[in-house]
Amino acid sequence: MSTQLDHKPLLTHEVGSLDKPGWRVKAYAGKPLSERDLEEARSWGEQLQVPDYPRLLELLRGRSFTKEQKAEIQRWSSLYALRLEESAGLDVVYDGEQQRTEMYDWAVTHANGFERRGSVRAFDNKYYSKAAVVGPISLAAPYHNAEFSYLVSVAGAELKVPVTGAYTIADWSFDERNALDTDLRESALDRRRQRKAARRDFVLQVARNLIRPNLQALIGLGARWIQVDEPGASTEPDELDLFVDSFNASVEGLDAMFSTHLCFSDYNLFFPAIERMSQCRQFAVGFANYDSRELGTSDDARPGYQVIKKFRELPYKPALGMGVLDIHTDFIESPELVRDRVLYAVKVFGDAARIHVTPDCGLRTRSWRVAYEKLHNMTAGVELARRALSL
Amino acid sequence: MVAATRGLDRGRTDQAEVDAAFRHDLARWVEVQRAAGLDFYSDGLLRWQDIFRPLVEAIGPKPHTLVRWFDTNTFFREPEFANFPSGDSNSPSPSGGWQGGGETSVPRPRVSTFPSPYMFSRAARTNLDRNRLMVELAESVLRPAIDAAVREGSELIHLEEPWLGYTGISRQDWAPLRDALEALHRNVGATLALHVYFGDAAPHLEQLRALPIDAIGVDLIETDVTALGRGWDKGLVAGVINGRQSLVESTNSIVEVAGHLADSVRPTALYLTSNSELSFLPTSVAEHKVQRLGEAASKVKQLVSV
Repeated sequence: MSTQLDHKPLLTHEVGSLDKPGWRVKAYAGKPLSERDLEEARSWGEQLQVPDYPRLLELLRGRSFTKEQKAEIQRWSSLYALRLEESAGLDVVYDGEQQRTEMYDWAVTHANGFERRGSVRAFDNKYYSKAAVVGPISLAAPYHNAEFSYLVSVAGAELKVPVTGAYTIADWSFDERNALDTDLRESALDRRRQRKAARRDFVLQVARNLIRPNLQALIGLGARWIQVDEPGASTEPDELDLFVDSFNASVEGLDAMFSTHLCFSDYNLFFPAIERMSQCRQFAVGFANYDSRELGTSDDARPGYQVIKKFRELPYKPALGMGVLDIHTDFIESPELVRDRVLYAVKVFGDAARIHVTPDCGLRTRSWRVAYEKLHNMTAGVELARRALSL
Repeated sequence: MVAATRGLDRGRTDQAEVDAAFRHDLARWVEVQRAAGLDFYSDGLLRWQDIFRPLVEAIGPKPHTLVRWFDTNTFFREPEFANFPSGDSNSPSPSGGWQGGGETSVPRPRVSTFPSPYMFSRAARTNLDRNRLMVELAESVLRPAIDAAVREGSELIHLEEPWLGYTGISRQDWAPLRDALEALHRNVGATLALHVYFGDAAPHLEQLRALPIDAIGVDLIETDVTALGRGWDKGLVAGVINGRQSLVESTNSIVEVAGHLADSVRPTALYLTSNSELSFLPTSVAEHKVQRLGEAASKVKQLVSV
């Protein structure tokens, strides 16, 4: 049974990814580091007061790195990201997924049954890798255990583990197990039915055979809050029930707090399907991308947040992890803008305990400087809201 | 280009490296098309970050809001129109040419791809009347870009129209769509095709066949071939390659469906292409599919005469 953790009102947390520093990327790829890379490691180490960071500088000055040294550099990167989030004042943190290649690739790399196919554009100049499922799906090895164990040993704040969900993994993959649509002279309706049946089977296999055992491994290590990331959830509007079924199949009966992250969708599509998602104790949802940058707490001032009323009405009363930072621009939201977005949400919900405050999504497309300033202003804005609400 | 543009975004490389990567990738893409024996050459819209972006940026401020591109994991920046674009002196030039990226290396004859005015007007964020916007976009934005493309050797103008296939269209919107397409078709000097995809074109065929266009594109993954009817007085752009599935079609399967279309639909011209853009596929898969398309087209040409 999904657990409800006891959190303070207007809890703040990051959603998942942060950019990887140049020193981490180059060292891992075996490329030479520049003085600029070393200065980046030094200045952030100093600013974030990362313990013993000169040891990292010493390590990075090496000409080449062994496998163990690369792993150590990844852990440093995790520590830096963790400190960035803690320093920005977040209540719940993780490591910006510094030890993973990317949210999709990392999962399928540790799964049986997938083969890589290449990169596809997501937006602007951002691409993601795609794989094809070619055989039976199973977990090759738990793939978040090492990072989680490390973070437990160094984190001061509460941890929340982001895990890519089954629907998104399936949606972002090709399915090459069944040759469908081979004869376009056949009925289009029959071919569509075959595609849908194959798709359902695919998504649920990922949930049961890959995601669930990985979650069980994390819980076995003491993970208490696991965020199932589902940016692909509303991709197919007629598959919202399948998304909910995959979430339930992934978490049912497991003992942790489960939340899910949704972004960049028409969120109206999720209703009523997610009324069956009672194991989900928090929905972290991106709204700032759709909102005005003007101040104000009226309906007119907050066009991006109109749909939150629907989340309020969910019968199992989950918290809303409300996105207040647009992660696709370098625009730095002011504390006052964050405050007004929060105050609007509290007014709509009538219960500050059900409002958590987050960026719209992971900040990996922003520089650390921009990400830090955004997060810092987010926590400052929440403080302004707390004061306004006398919390 | 993937690595170069990512590096540029993160300040790890410069524009010169991006331009060099673009020239390299464009040359490769041209060679893939040449080797496949395609009849029309495309620049692949390699510099376009989405189907609206260069057109929108040429006439106004940079678009901001990211929106999902139908049921894909690709996103576009929503064009924003506070005013109608008519009278704007900054009319865009052809597909990407104003960005100075070496598209002159694309052989002729060319195919140039643009958003359909219907989709353009519906995908935009605006409080304006969308039907009037559709006509104005056709006249003031698309037509100048199409004219420039024709001057540079485009003989086929391919208008992408997934909005109609995916979302549909109201009865009262057909007349302004006709007006918008008339603005594009009048004395254009190239074949104008409207390609409906991401949905079943069959319910719209009667109206589509009455539009002032030279060819209708259909997505044959979603549209039943038996619904296409017979005896067309227009060309048929047949989406026979699945742009969303990595398995590569067999040559014979393409030849068979093409033969069926030639025999039963009897369009004035038959164009074989993918059901949608190929940007949802990794490059190597897309190249393989183009190669297969060319092989199939070559066989079809030997077998049938349309």
